[in-house]
Formats: sequence, structure tokens, C-alpha cells
Amino acid sequence: MFDKIFDSLKDGLIVFDQKNKVSLVNDAAKKILGIDNKILGKSIEDFFYFPELKNLFFLLGTDIKEVFRKEMDLEKNLILEITSIPVFEKEQRIASVVVLHDVTREKTIERLKSEFVSVSAHQLRTPLASLKWSLETLAKERIGNLNEEQKKVLQKALTSSERMLDLVNDLLNVVRIEEGKYVYRIVPTHLENLVHSAIDFFQERIQEKQIQFEFRLPSKKLPKVRADPEKLSLVIQNLIDNAIRYNFQGGSITITLSEKDKEIEFSIKDSGIGIPESEKENIFQKFFRASNAIKTETEGSGLGLFVAKNIVEAHGGKIWFESKEGRGTTFYFTIPIK
Amino acid sequence: MTEKKKILIIEDEKDLRFFITQALKSEGFETIEAFDGEEGLEKAKAEKPNLILLDLLLPGINGYEVLSRLKKDPDLELIPVIILSNLGQEEEIERGLKLGAIDYLIKANFTLDEIVERVKKVFSKN
Repeated sequence: MFDKIFDSLKDGLIVFDQKNKVSLVNDAAKKILGIDNKILGKSIEDFFYFPELKNLFFLLGTDIKEVFRKEMDLEKNLILEITSIPVFEKEQRIASVVVLHDVTREKTIERLKSEFVSVSAHQLRTPLASLKWSLETLAKERIGNLNEEQKKVLQKALTSSERMLDLVNDLLNVVRIEEGKYVYRIVPTHLENLVHSAIDFFQERIQEKQIQFEFRLPSKKLPKVRADPEKLSLVIQNLIDNAIRYNFQGGSITITLSEKDKEIEFSIKDSGIGIPESEKENIFQKFFRASNAIKTETEGSGLGLFVAKNIVEAHGGKIWFESKEGRGTTFYFTIPIK
Repeated sequence: MTEKKKILIIEDEKDLRFFITQALKSEGFETIEAFDGEEGLEKAKAEKPNLILLDLLLPGINGYEVLSRLKKDPDLELIPVIILSNLGQEEEIERGLKLGAIDYLIKANFTLDEIVERVKKVFSKN
């Protein structure tokens, strides 16, 4: 009766006995892997010699280690999620159960979604370039003079087209992140140089908002880190952008770089609106924006911190924050020195 | 007085071609336009421009192909090429630069003024 139950399961099931030999394999597993009952009695080491089972051998190892939902590509466009659970009786391992779950469909949908976003974002760029350049041609009075009112209106339209472009670029970044292809060109990098150029970039807005800005560096020169400078700049820019955007007029921002055991730590402390306690856990989620942030600034894609987190983690670093609503926020990230 | 620099714009989108031409002309450049890669290569041979602005996604042969043919032609290989495309992933940029482009601009991310600046920069170096 148990055989019938196992065979009715849609997930593939392979059971190894105490000696790591196959003692049971259900219909679904046979179908997924293209094997038959000849596999019964074979040991995990034997899997190495079967082309269709080789990947499974590499994933589980000779001791059939515990695995939870590890993705595994089989040939012929088949993607599986493998789970391996050891079964114990009186602290003795008596068997291992390996579950093969077919996720080809989900992964295909994910890929199609990424492709769709990527293609649409690229397609959007052409009309956007045309729009932006039309407005610029008018605003620069290349084809006729404008009065002040008209200039103001055009300036608003230009700002909006820039915002739309930022959003399109953010979406493309998200797709790249989800494909795991984002951090690309790793070179020895001076973090302080990146910070300096980011500060330069925001100088105008810092002055507009009359923000007291400070950049603290240790007296000893900081070592280089291995990083993708373009991407890491984006992290720093996103954090400074937020610190200005969600700050009060005349507020303060302090950036500090320091060396902490084999890591460089970046921190940016602002005196802004802070993050509400109940929303802290969502802050790095894609498209999430805190309720007080939406009230302060209607603009914003909710992608900045998501992108930042992914970039930092792809460098082997960590990102976190401390915040009190109404008082301010400090964001930290670390990048290992290698 | 120095003679006007001649710039060949290879771009299939009519509107975009128009704006780039406008901006370059207003800065005193002479412009030649080509709608696709074939026409671009012909005009490059016939007119010997001082610089080429090259789109990548073109009808017929694509921009990469145009670029590699330009670089293989001893008469044309020295003409600086700036890629101006809406593709912008690292692999694409790297491929363009490896083929010999001197700059790679993502159209939508640049204003016309910035594009003109990049063009001027090429001439100020020479």
C-alpha cells in the first residue's frame, strides 16, 4: 500500500537506506530522472556513473547531506528543487529521503517575467529619449524664443521625463539583480573617492536644503576594497539621496568611513523623518516605501534600498540601519577588504 | 579659421536623428545622416566624416557589424566612432568598446548638450 501512495505523489522520491543504497524510488522520480528499477540497491557513489544522476551526486555528496530546496538544473530544460532529509531513530540515521520537486514551470515564468520587464524598459527608452530631446530642444530655445512661464512649464516636463527615465533604469537594475548578473567589474577601489564624487553630485541639493554636511575620515589612509565602483557608487548615491530627501530643511548629514576588522564600514547619519517602528522590517523590500516617506515625498520608486542591499551583499558585505521616527536614521554598510 | 567638422549620424529613428542633427548644427558641425548600416557604410566611404555617431539596433546589419567593418577598412578605421544606443548592459558596452568605439552613450540617459560635449571632447583631444 505504501508503494501505491508513493507512486501517486507528483514529486519524485528516492529513499536511501542506512548504507546509502537506494531502497525505494517512486514513479515520479523515475519519470523525472529517466531511470527504472535497476537503480534499486545502487549506492550514492554509483550515481556518479549515470549521466542523468551525476548532478544529484554532486549536490548530495557521498554522505547524502541534508539539503533544503536547492535548485538543480537537469538537462533538457528541467529544473528541480532538491530537498534531502535524514531520518533518525534513536539518534541513528536509518535512512535519507530525497524529494525532487519540478520547478521548471515557475522558473520559466520567472525568466519570462524578467525578459518582459527588460524588453519593455529598453523599448521605453527610445520614445523617452525622443521626448526628452524634444523638450530640451524647445527649452534651449533652439527653434524659437520662450517666455518665462513657458520655460517653467517645460522645466517641469523635463523633470518628469528624467524621473521616468530613472524609473526605467531602476527596473532594468532590478531585473539584472534578479538574474544575479549585476555586480560585474570588480577592481581595487578607494571607497572615499566614490564618496567624494557622490557628495559633489548632490552639492546643489545639499545647499538648497541648507543641510549641514560632514564627511569624516580616519587619519590613517583607508585600504582599497575589491568592488565594482559603478555599482557601489549607486549604493552611496541612493543612501545620500534618501538622507537629503527625507531630511528637514536645515538638517544635518554625517558620513563616516572607518576600518573595522577586515572591513570598511560606511555610515550615513541624518536628522530626518526616520523610519516608523512597524515598517522597519520591510524597508529593503522591492517597491516598499515607508508611510511617512510617501507623505513627505510623493516621488520615489521604492527600489533604492532594494538595489543597495543587493549590491552590498553581492560584494560580501552587510547593510543595516538604526532609526527613530522623527529623529533621524543612520544607514551602515560594510565591504570586506581582500 | 578651422573647417567645419563633418559628423555622420547612423540612426534609424527619424525623430532622434532630427534632434541630434539640430543640436550638432547649432554648435557649428556639419552633419550627414544615414538610416541604416548599409547606407552608413556607403556614406562613410563617400564623405569621409570626422566622426561617426552609431546606433546599434538598426534594420539590416546591426551597429556592431557596421563598427567592425569600419575598423577593417584601412580608409575608415581611423574615424572615431561613438556608439549612441539604448542598449546599455555591461556586455553590450564592453563589446562596443572592444570593437573599437571610443565612447558609448545610452541615448535616454544623456541630454543633447551632453552628447554634443562628448563629440567636442573627441576633437579637443586630437
